[in-house]
Amino acid sequence: MKKHSRVLAAALALALTAGVLAGCGSSDTPAAGGGSSSGGTAITIFNSKMEIQEQMEAMAEKYSQEKGVDVEVYYSSDTVAAHLATKYASNDPYTISMVDAKDVYSLAAEHALDLSGEDWVKDTTQAISVDGKVYGFPVCIEARGIIYNADAIKNITGKDFDPSTCKTLDGFKALIQELIDGGMEAPTGVMKEDWSLAAHYLAEVYEEQPDVDAFITSLHEGNADLANNDRFNSLMDTFDVLKDNSYSKASAISAEREVTEQKLAEGEIAFMFGGNWDWSVINAYDYSENMGMMPVPQNTDDGMNEKLVGGGSKYFFIDSSDNTSDEQKQAAKDFLNWLVYDEAGQSFIVEDCALVPAYSNITLDVKDPLGASVKKYTDDGALIPNYNYFPDDHYSICGAAFQKYLANQTDRAGFAGEIEAYWKGITPVEH
Amino acid sequence: MERNTFSYKLKQFMMFAGPASILFFGTVLVPFVYGFYLTFTSWDGISKVKPFVGLENYTAAMQDSAYWAAIGRTAIYSLFAVILVNALAFFLAYFVTSGIKGQNFFRAGFFIPNLIGGIVLGYVWKFVFNRAFVAVAQAITGGTVPSLLSTTGGAMFCLILVSVWQYAGYMMLIYVAGFMAVSNDLKEAALIDGCTPSQAMQNVTIPLMRSSFVQCLFLSITRCFVVYDVNLSLTNGEPFNSSVMAAMHVYNQAFTYKNYGLGQAEAVILFVICAVIGVTQVYIGKKGEVDA
Repeated sequence: MKKHSRVLAAALALALTAGVLAGCGSSDTPAAGGGSSSGGTAITIFNSKMEIQEQMEAMAEKYSQEKGVDVEVYYSSDTVAAHLATKYASNDPYTISMVDAKDVYSLAAEHALDLSGEDWVKDTTQAISVDGKVYGFPVCIEARGIIYNADAIKNITGKDFDPSTCKTLDGFKALIQELIDGGMEAPTGVMKEDWSLAAHYLAEVYEEQPDVDAFITSLHEGNADLANNDRFNSLMDTFDVLKDNSYSKASAISAEREVTEQKLAEGEIAFMFGGNWDWSVINAYDYSENMGMMPVPQNTDDGMNEKLVGGGSKYFFIDSSDNTSDEQKQAAKDFLNWLVYDEAGQSFIVEDCALVPAYSNITLDVKDPLGASVKKYTDDGALIPNYNYFPDDHYSICGAAFQKYLANQTDRAGFAGEIEAYWKGITPVEH
Repeated sequence: MERNTFSYKLKQFMMFAGPASILFFGTVLVPFVYGFYLTFTSWDGISKVKPFVGLENYTAAMQDSAYWAAIGRTAIYSLFAVILVNALAFFLAYFVTSGIKGQNFFRAGFFIPNLIGGIVLGYVWKFVFNRAFVAVAQAITGGTVPSLLSTTGGAMFCLILVSVWQYAGYMMLIYVAGFMAVSNDLKEAALIDGCTPSQAMQNVTIPLMRSSFVQCLFLSITRCFVVYDVNLSLTNGEPFNSSVMAAMHVYNQAFTYKNYGLGQAEAVILFVICAVIGVTQVYIGKKGEVDA
């Protein structure tokens, strides 16, 4: 009896230990890669686009079987930088990591493989180079603008919606009034998320300046007068229209993204500022067929109201450290080429994941309507490039200021003052 | 077998406490020391080089106004949450030890919130505050009512409310044990000597339960000071970063803003504050403990 209880105690202790140890390693979700016993090269891919994780896993399995290279896909809900930090700290980097543009700039010099010699470099305008070397492989193109629901508009006006009538703020206002008169109580929605407000909407204030770098420098040095800046006021005028006609006007700060997008998808509202990534939320609802994206309306004639803002979004880079063998590096390069030049790879990006391809040789049609709009603007060369050198806390601190403005807790001058104060206190990102 | 030798003792120790000691050493002590070292570097969390900068991070932490605002906010939150948690827990414990019908059912019921993880709990309450409360309030007033979570004071209130709801059941268990440990003889004797029930409670039961109070206060203070999960899922610092608690600020500083050294330095300062408050409270509490 005594012996039994000792064994039992030992077993319990072991079980507890195992439980704790298992708990340590459970933050990653390894995907079902191919059979790991094939003996060939094995590469790991870090995916930071949650909405395509399932497609990535399915692709990895197929790719493993066909090419004899084991591919495993991982996802983490942590921020990209935080997650990769833990992987690098433990000397266990991914062969290929999918990161945001700003991460390529901060990681490339130390951790990324020089890809300048790859074929795909000539077929894209969006690759990221640092010091003349190409490090970032653009996964797709994403752009920001106003998402509209053309069916909802047509139901009230009786006419097909023509986005070009809404190029100017005056035209936009007139249409909103027509919608309200026709019975749509609140034709717009505004996302209160700090990344949407600061990293996407406020960013356009900088990105639509004639010389973005000079403007950022003048903000940092305290010379820019934001409150009297034409672009700032022009975009904020439009934001006011979105804000004042929003369905969540009374409680803008507790509006949930899902609810806003559901209303837009189902035609209860007609406009929302967003980007083609919002399709992954919209398509979960009973959406209208005719949706699309248009530039943010502004009363201007400098052409900024005819372009979306965007460019390459999410970049692959290949680890350059000794933890990744030469075979793995080669297999990773092959994989990137497969995505661009193999029909299966192309259809994976465009059809399975519904992404807008960043490569001019890919001619497949984008299925989702928002992506189709973005593709059209991209093909017409009507994209204002992203500014990729914001400090990491920009979206959070300026987002908080923007939220105050959204909740009517500060006026435009106060908001401009907070943004100016933020920029004075930062360390500029070198590039 | 000789039971007095060092090797025998070591073997016994390793058998029972070994796994836990190794884990404690590996997951608490080593990271703590290494993390302390990192506070003297300007590491960004991912780079290969960790430049040594001396005490620069501590000076920067002292000047980080957002950090001290978060600490102040955490202190206010902790003050309210600790008082309410303990008052409610004590009351609940009294209630479920007073011999009412179905008291075991009530004990289990009050304890259950503590079994739900903080993240899940935050999302559940977010739904309650944003949808259920708003719907009820709108039905009553007939107008549009903003959610509590969208106002600065309201978000704090929600955080405190949810924490109280979460921790009260757990602290209740400790108070229940405290109540049960006080012998009925003493209470009866006090009553026979002419005490009213409330006098008996105040002069006999509560002094004898002092160790329960010390324990509960310690647990609730330290937990409230480093609250993160409920903060993350319920408010995520919103609105306008007005509900960012100390731990969340530290996380953002280290991982989101990529100032790892600075974030770590702020974490060390938070640890020191926590430790000082916790140890002082236990010291004062223990000093006045009495035996029957």
